[in-house]
Amino acid sequence: MAFLQWRRFNFFDKEPVKDPATDQIFDQLKDVNVSACTSGRGQLIVGDFEGNLYFINRQMELTAFRAYEIRVTHLLQLKQHNLLISIGEDEPGINPLIKVWNLEKMERGNPACTRLTRAIPGNKPTPVSAFTVHENLNFMAVGFENGIVLLYKGDVTRERHSKSRIVYEGNKCVTGLAFKTQGKQDLFLFVVTENSTVAINLTAKDQQTLLENTGASIGCITMSDASQDNQLVIGRQDAVYFYQPDGRGPCLAFEGLKLQLHWFRGYLIIVGRESKTLPRAPVLGPHGMEMNTVTVYDIQNKFIAYSAPYPQVIDVLCESGSIFIFTGDRKLYQLQEKDTQSKLEMLFKKNNYALAISLAKSQQLDQDGLIDIFTQYGDHLYSKGDHDGAIDQYIKTIGKLEASYVIRKFLDAQRIHNLTKYLQALHMSQTATEEHTTLLLNCYTKLKDVSKLDEFIMTKNRAVDFDVETAINVCRQSGYCAHALALAEKHRKHEHYLKIQIEDIKDYQKALQYIGKLDFESAESNLKQYGKVLMNEVPKQTTELLKRLCTDYKPTDKPLIDQNSLDGTLPSKIQKANAEEFIHIFVNNSSKLTEFLEHMIEVQPNSSNLVYNTLLELYLHDMVHEKDISTRVDRERKTLDLLKNPDANYDIDQALILCQMNNFKAGILYLYEKAHLYQQILRYHMEHLEHLHVIETCKKFGQQDPQLWIQALSYFACKEEYCKSQLMEVLSHIDKKNLLPPLMVIQILAHHSTATLSVVKDYIVRHLQLENDQIAEDERLIKQYREDTEKKRTKIEELKTSAKVFQASKCNICSHSLELPSVHFLCEPHSYHQHCFESYAENDMECPVCAPENRKIMDIIRAQEQSKDIHEFFHNQLERAPDGFSVVADYFGRGVFNKVTLITDQHSKTSNASTR
Amino acid sequence: MSYAYLFKYIIIGDTGVGKSCLLLQFTDKRFQPVHDLTIGVEFGARMITIDGKQIKLQIWDTAGQESFRSITRSYYRGAAGALLVYDITRRDTFNHLTTWLEDARQHSNSNMVIMLIGNKSDLEARREVKKEEGEAFAREHGLIFMETSAKTAANVEEAFINTAKEIYQKIQDGVFDINNEANGIKIGPQHSPASQSLNVGGSGGNQGGNCC
Repeated sequence: MAFLQWRRFNFFDKEPVKDPATDQIFDQLKDVNVSACTSGRGQLIVGDFEGNLYFINRQMELTAFRAYEIRVTHLLQLKQHNLLISIGEDEPGINPLIKVWNLEKMERGNPACTRLTRAIPGNKPTPVSAFTVHENLNFMAVGFENGIVLLYKGDVTRERHSKSRIVYEGNKCVTGLAFKTQGKQDLFLFVVTENSTVAINLTAKDQQTLLENTGASIGCITMSDASQDNQLVIGRQDAVYFYQPDGRGPCLAFEGLKLQLHWFRGYLIIVGRESKTLPRAPVLGPHGMEMNTVTVYDIQNKFIAYSAPYPQVIDVLCESGSIFIFTGDRKLYQLQEKDTQSKLEMLFKKNNYALAISLAKSQQLDQDGLIDIFTQYGDHLYSKGDHDGAIDQYIKTIGKLEASYVIRKFLDAQRIHNLTKYLQALHMSQTATEEHTTLLLNCYTKLKDVSKLDEFIMTKNRAVDFDVETAINVCRQSGYCAHALALAEKHRKHEHYLKIQIEDIKDYQKALQYIGKLDFESAESNLKQYGKVLMNEVPKQTTELLKRLCTDYKPTDKPLIDQNSLDGTLPSKIQKANAEEFIHIFVNNSSKLTEFLEHMIEVQPNSSNLVYNTLLELYLHDMVHEKDISTRVDRERKTLDLLKNPDANYDIDQALILCQMNNFKAGILYLYEKAHLYQQILRYHMEHLEHLHVIETCKKFGQQDPQLWIQALSYFACKEEYCKSQLMEVLSHIDKKNLLPPLMVIQILAHHSTATLSVVKDYIVRHLQLENDQIAEDERLIKQYREDTEKKRTKIEELKTSAKVFQASKCNICSHSLELPSVHFLCEPHSYHQHCFESYAENDMECPVCAPENRKIMDIIRAQEQSKDIHEFFHNQLERAPDGFSVVADYFGRGVFNKVTLITDQHSKTSNASTR
Repeated sequence: MSYAYLFKYIIIGDTGVGKSCLLLQFTDKRFQPVHDLTIGVEFGARMITIDGKQIKLQIWDTAGQESFRSITRSYYRGAAGALLVYDITRRDTFNHLTTWLEDARQHSNSNMVIMLIGNKSDLEARREVKKEEGEAFAREHGLIFMETSAKTAANVEEAFINTAKEIYQKIQDGVFDINNEANGIKIGPQHSPASQSLNVGGSGGNQGGNCC
């Protein structure tokens, strides 16, 4: 029935124990008639039927002492205390004696016996069949062959304070006892007899629970460790049963006669005799001993870890991390558990990866080790062609194993499902790179698995665990524009969104709406990029958006007035784009551009000149291409309005060129005027032979620029056709304003054949007359000045040469008759009383009457002297004066060319002083 | 773990019908494609909530092999519910249902709620037993019927919970004597209020888990 068994492995190394001193097989117990064995705290303890106790330490050194007079029957070494409890007999007959040995305390070379108690149930001595001691040293239970269980409560190491009571009375031999502490306080005692299994709750008035109406034979009872929840384990013929204090637990159907059960670190060790299944008679070992089978079961992972025959196993001791099997030929065998790695190797060889994984988990193998198993398992399944299974394993390696290792294996088109699954898991674990995202999306698209793609893209609300841009690109490339779009929108990749919307989906309306929702900077840059396309497709909306963008932009999905501005704390900044940057968008759509620019100018009169220039150009263009007269006039008016708009910030030169190019007369003239280019206006009119306008222009702007008249003159003069009247008018203007010397006029007119003498006759005659008069006047004046000069000369001569008689009788100051002392001056002559003179005269030298007059003249002379050196002033005057010659003459009169400077003060002083 | 009731279940049926997988799916929410033969009787537990009450399900997963029949039989006793499982892709497992039912009726108490389960419903392509046949068998023998898939977990939860509801209803109707533990029902321990808030609806342990 091997089929109905667990998998069998060999995870233990069997080795006969050797004496390290001699390197021979350890046989020091070969003559010992063993009665009981126990182990703990690094040593094996054997008792014999002679009452001796043998201690074997780690170095296989044997020590012994005599503990009982007759024999030892039971031994128990506690795990947490260095205490050995033994039951044996010191006296003949049935007289079991419990001894507790403190192995740390030595008395006369032997361990100290701290307690000595007779074990008698009631009053009838009975042989002890089972006993156990609780590790807390407070409970000790002893079972007897007559079915009674005696419980000793109180300190186990001493007899004092220890009370005993009968907790169970059965009718068959007690075969096993075990304590179990459950929860914090509940203490149970399992009692197994030959025909029943009972749990006794020692903390609840010894309440008994019958677990089973069958029991077990001696030896076939053990307690599992914490890994199996400290259950009572009982081996019976048909199976191994587990018990909790309240009932039966699972069972393992290991058939066969069981001799002993032991528990070792999660392993259940069964010593059995396979009688039923063996076809031949029981195999006999050396010395005719019966062969037993020692089987080690891993309960958790469900396999047989070791199984081998041994001759008549006396006991199995679990100590120092290995199993010691004490066989009938008095030999010790040590079973050493293999290390995890070699166990795994064995499992790998058998391709039993599932077991390897669970084993590794139960052995607390580190993560790297597990990953290694998963990888190997995956490789194995892959090589077997189980790709689905393989990928499941590979998924478990995510995070440790290089993803490309797996991906490369599954790149085959037929494995794309597996690859997809792996990549999905990769993304789930947040370890995916851009390439992985690309690959996964490619897989989805190859598989045409739109729902998965949807799921991947749409439902990931948590942190972005893939590279969004890559995803967008892949989706685009494979034609899943909607997905790419959704992604872009969700992750606010505006450029991508618009690119897809415009280039792939061609839903310009939506694209435009999207831009409208963006914040200012993004909206601006995106509109710059896609404006042209959008303008082509949806001009109206695009223009509207541009208008918004260039005035006071706010995203459409934001409230018009945000909270900040409501609070008044932070006035929101008005964001607007420069209109000129968007002009190029309107290529081929001048009407929208006009609309846009008009809007801009309206809301923002201080727009840049580019805006105005462009608008002007548009106007002109429209105007020129307009066939209908009335609308054309209308347009002309509009254009002119723009030109005349004082806010219009256009570039005059450019505007002029535009007007000229488009031959917009009104505009050209207006611009000339604005630029003060009167000459240009004139020339314009001349070119267009508009005589009337030429005269008008001259009249209008003659004030600012007299040259206009001259130009007009030469223009009319050279005209072929008869234009006497104009010529006359121009001449009269020139004459009136004295713009040109007659000679020049004549010269100009003389150059051209058309101007006849009759035209200029009047002019010339008048001028000649005028000049004659002038000459006559000048001559008269010259004559007068000469006479005056002559008079002055004679007077000076007179004063120099002839005497002067002072005949005045009255003082010229007080008008009283002159009295001595008096002062006389040559000038008139003037005479004064001295006291009058002293009180009136500013100084002694001057005549008080003549002094102001003299001073005035002196000042004039001085001023002339000074001003003659200010050349700039002279030049200025010269330039401004209508008659330059007179200015020069004036300056000549002031003595510009005098070499000697006249020092008049000196003169008057000498002349006056001498009169005293 | 505090609970109002403890129900003992047993899962029976031919070998290889997916009894252990059903249990694993119910307790651990996972599926193991390769599962060793169950040797003996295994054990699983999980808490569920019915009518606002915490109920602990203690589930005994038996070996389907004929040779273990004597061992598994001893586990019928004291089960409040049984899941009788067949494999929809193997007609013989369906044909053996009568034997199993007899066995169960004979060794358990008469009030035991038995649910008939057609497992491996994910393998529709290999189906040998029609759903209608299962329904008819259940009707005939007074069982509840359900098709499940331990692999996809379809209906697994429902199978266990519906059985529990049925048992619960029988308790409410006074059919079960809840004080007799042989019926496979146990009233929860008188737990302190402090521990009551903990461990609500947690999944149970593995084989040999906490058993109270």
